[in-house]
Amino acid sequence: MISEASVVIIGGGIIGTSIAFNLAKFGVKNVSVFEKSYISSGSTGRCGGGIRQQWTSPMNVRLAMRSVELFERFKSDVGMDIEYIEGGYLLLAYTDKEIEEFKRNVKMQREEGLNVELLTNRQIAKKFPFMNLEGVKGGTWCPTDGHANPQIANIAYAMAIKRMGVELNTHTSVESIDTQNGKIIGVQTSKGYVKTNVVVNAAGGFSHEIGLMAGVDIPTYSERHQILVTESVNHILDPMVISFQNNYYVRQTMHGSFVMGQSDKNPAKGNDLGHTVEFLEEMAPKMVHDFPFMKHLHIVRQWSGAYNVSPDAQPIIDEARNVSRYIFAVGFSGHGFMLAPAVGEAVAEMIVYGRSKTMNISNLGISRFENKIEKEHNVV
Amino acid sequence: MKSYETVVIGGGPAGMVGAITLGSKGVKNLLLDENDTLGGQLVKQTHKFFGDHAHYASVRGFEIAQKLQKKISQNSNIKVETSATVIGIYPNKTIVYAKNGKEFKVTYEKLLITTGAMEKQLPFINSDLPGVYGAGAVQTLMNEYGVIPGKRFLIIGSGNIGLILAYQLIQAGVEVRGIVEAIGKIGGYAVHAKKIKRLGVPILLNHTIVKAIGDESVSGAVIAKIDDKFKPIPGTEEEKVVDTICVSVGLTPLSELAEQAGCEVEYIPQLGGYVPVRNEKMQTTNPDVFIAGDLSSIEEATTAMIEGKIAALEIARILNGANIENEINEEIKTLSLFRSGPKSAKIRAGLEKFGISIEAVPNVESHGVQIGPVGKLRAIVDCTEEIPCNSCEAVCPFEAIHIGENLNSTPVVDYDKCTGCATCVTACPGLAIHMLKEDVEKSKALVGIPYELLPLPEKGEKMWALNEDGNYVCDAIVKRVVKYPNKTNIVYIEIPIEFSRKVINVEFPKEESPFVCRCEEVTLSEIERAIDSGIVDFEELKRLTRVTMGPCGGKNCKLVVLGILSRKTGVPISKLSRGTSRPPVKPVEFSLFTKNGDPK
Repeated sequence: MISEASVVIIGGGIIGTSIAFNLAKFGVKNVSVFEKSYISSGSTGRCGGGIRQQWTSPMNVRLAMRSVELFERFKSDVGMDIEYIEGGYLLLAYTDKEIEEFKRNVKMQREEGLNVELLTNRQIAKKFPFMNLEGVKGGTWCPTDGHANPQIANIAYAMAIKRMGVELNTHTSVESIDTQNGKIIGVQTSKGYVKTNVVVNAAGGFSHEIGLMAGVDIPTYSERHQILVTESVNHILDPMVISFQNNYYVRQTMHGSFVMGQSDKNPAKGNDLGHTVEFLEEMAPKMVHDFPFMKHLHIVRQWSGAYNVSPDAQPIIDEARNVSRYIFAVGFSGHGFMLAPAVGEAVAEMIVYGRSKTMNISNLGISRFENKIEKEHNVV
Repeated sequence: MKSYETVVIGGGPAGMVGAITLGSKGVKNLLLDENDTLGGQLVKQTHKFFGDHAHYASVRGFEIAQKLQKKISQNSNIKVETSATVIGIYPNKTIVYAKNGKEFKVTYEKLLITTGAMEKQLPFINSDLPGVYGAGAVQTLMNEYGVIPGKRFLIIGSGNIGLILAYQLIQAGVEVRGIVEAIGKIGGYAVHAKKIKRLGVPILLNHTIVKAIGDESVSGAVIAKIDDKFKPIPGTEEEKVVDTICVSVGLTPLSELAEQAGCEVEYIPQLGGYVPVRNEKMQTTNPDVFIAGDLSSIEEATTAMIEGKIAALEIARILNGANIENEINEEIKTLSLFRSGPKSAKIRAGLEKFGISIEAVPNVESHGVQIGPVGKLRAIVDCTEEIPCNSCEAVCPFEAIHIGENLNSTPVVDYDKCTGCATCVTACPGLAIHMLKEDVEKSKALVGIPYELLPLPEKGEKMWALNEDGNYVCDAIVKRVVKYPNKTNIVYIEIPIEFSRKVINVEFPKEESPFVCRCEEVTLSEIERAIDSGIVDFEELKRLTRVTMGPCGGKNCKLVVLGILSRKTGVPISKLSRGTSRPPVKPVEFSLFTKNGDPK
């Protein structure tokens, strides 16, 4: 372990490793990443793996579109096949009110340059004849949305940054952050002390706790979301399908298994990563109803991960007011994986240039919560 | 025309022992056999025989033939005619046989027919293609003449012959792609089946061959699952790339000569088909004609030899008036003992039809596999099926193995007496015994594996250790190779202690990498490559390669993966993280959760 780092990144998930990857690309030396467990042990390794650009907030749309550009180049940029497929996203609408909302979203998204359209029930049925579309009025469809294997993506970043000279310390937890006169001077870890003036909080489910270590009160909290995977079968479903009404998302991985989840009614708060049978009992009937072929499909495993939630369900990417060079990229509210390539680029630019150049992300700052909160709606 | 007190037709185990017994009781006899050497099926049996140690147990078949041949040549009362094909039995007790293109005639006072059996056929499409063989034919070509008729074999039938043939083919260095068995359980002895399973040969139960594929000769076979009426289930067909198909679906007695000799014949399927009616002393409905061996019931060489002896003793008693009733009854008792175990239930049911009843010994003791005291070099006996055999008990110099009165009982080891000499390992005909010694401090285990393949590995060589299904478990280092005169050598390997109860076989590393995780088809070399690229955390290895992430949830391969990781990193398995167990422990359908079964 190096005793002095130019940048310390707390968290070896997709956000932390993406930031480290982009810093290394800029030629920044002596970057040190601290991961308290193994790579992809946190939310990244537990997430659904969707890559979606259809959001209700223009900022999220822009960030996701930039990420898709980077995901398309991921294999050559980072050096590993991450099972990326642009299979599209199908968002289902059941009521006239929902259709009206979807229309407004499509209009905004198209203004941002996204290739997205509204589909009728019949158009959906033609595309996906194996679905039971009873009650579905229509939906939105973006063919350049997609999905990838988040675990392999995280490991790909980790292996790439090690090759590029970044120090990656797994199984090493951060115990405290030393500040002096509003400046960072070092970080105490379970494996020793490292001097540094720049710290990035990319701690996902633990972002609030890591914030408090430097005296920064970040308005995030974590809640448990459950997920399951089935046996692997022949490929039939290209897109991620989301039903806000029925409260589920589902995709078929390149490997053939189906990955799916929902928002529990009263999700456990914090980083409780247990599992409930109610989750299976709630998922099974609606999935079998909407995808009748799943009736005899076998569930292989269930697990859970933490959504690190912000007040408006959008990420908080900023530098602390009271501690200089304490940067955080947190509160992704369940959508960190898909935004990671663009966020890594933006945060690296913030560190190197003092502000993000490729994209203007100033409205993701922490000060926005002083005003009225405009919440992202498209969250499962 | 020459006349003999007794003529024996058929020089297999029953006929040879019959002739020897007759000779030793002073009965001059002629032994006729159509092959150029005596021995019958024994000459192609390269495996060790089961049975009572007094009856050639743990001696290889061809060696039994040699021993019997020697006894015959030393007995002046026996005249042997080989290459002599009996073509018929004619009135006035006249036997006509052909030899060297000439006709010969002899007469007899008493006749002992031991013509044995032939292989049953199985009708399937293209069964006339070159490359379809009877299992016995392949054994003859391979073990008698040194010719292997193919490179990739499919065997139909999992009786002892099919199982033994599979083993012999592997010893000869060819590939056995599988054994298909029509019924739901393996026909032959469990120890024979285990022997080939751990060499990686799959035994497919409830399967049959649908057809052979090929133009000029066999180039493949279509097999399929069958229903309870033995009909192939559509959609379950599967193609096996093989160039030889061996049919081994059982034997049927050769009863023609017995019929011509005036013996009544009955169809008794439990005994193998049409068999001559006979009494306990092997006398048929024609009082001058006796039978023994597979002709009387399809069994194996040991019972054939005892039957031959009983028949010969009875003939000698009638001819000479010798007072040998007791001797005959002793042999009948011995034979009954052989047939008293659960594996002989079919034979007992068949003999019942002749009014010959053999009590199934109810108190056959079956014991599980004993582990013994950890840390001591000792024999582990994996022999849990009741078969008539006591060779381990008989050879143990320290009386540490106990079988008891009934040789169908399974062995019990007294580990206070076991010295780890391994004599039983090399004697066991089923290769069901191996040596084990754990070194808890060093986290290593020494496993001594009976090994009958060539070439032998050498000390220090790196091998693959395999489990009971022939799947890779871990790497192994050869510590010692002990050669034995009976050619069952013992290879001692060192493995991590965690696998001491899993490893049962050893093989040379292959270029093709074995699957470690069969659910996700992850190979050993993929795992090693990932570790070499810096993924040394089990959790990361799992996510990158998908190993342990399939439907079995890692039950089959997690320990193997941890073993590889431990070997590559030097971190003991106990110190590695092993992931979190998540429900469902076994895959369940979504439909399970669509109806709640809780009482309302």
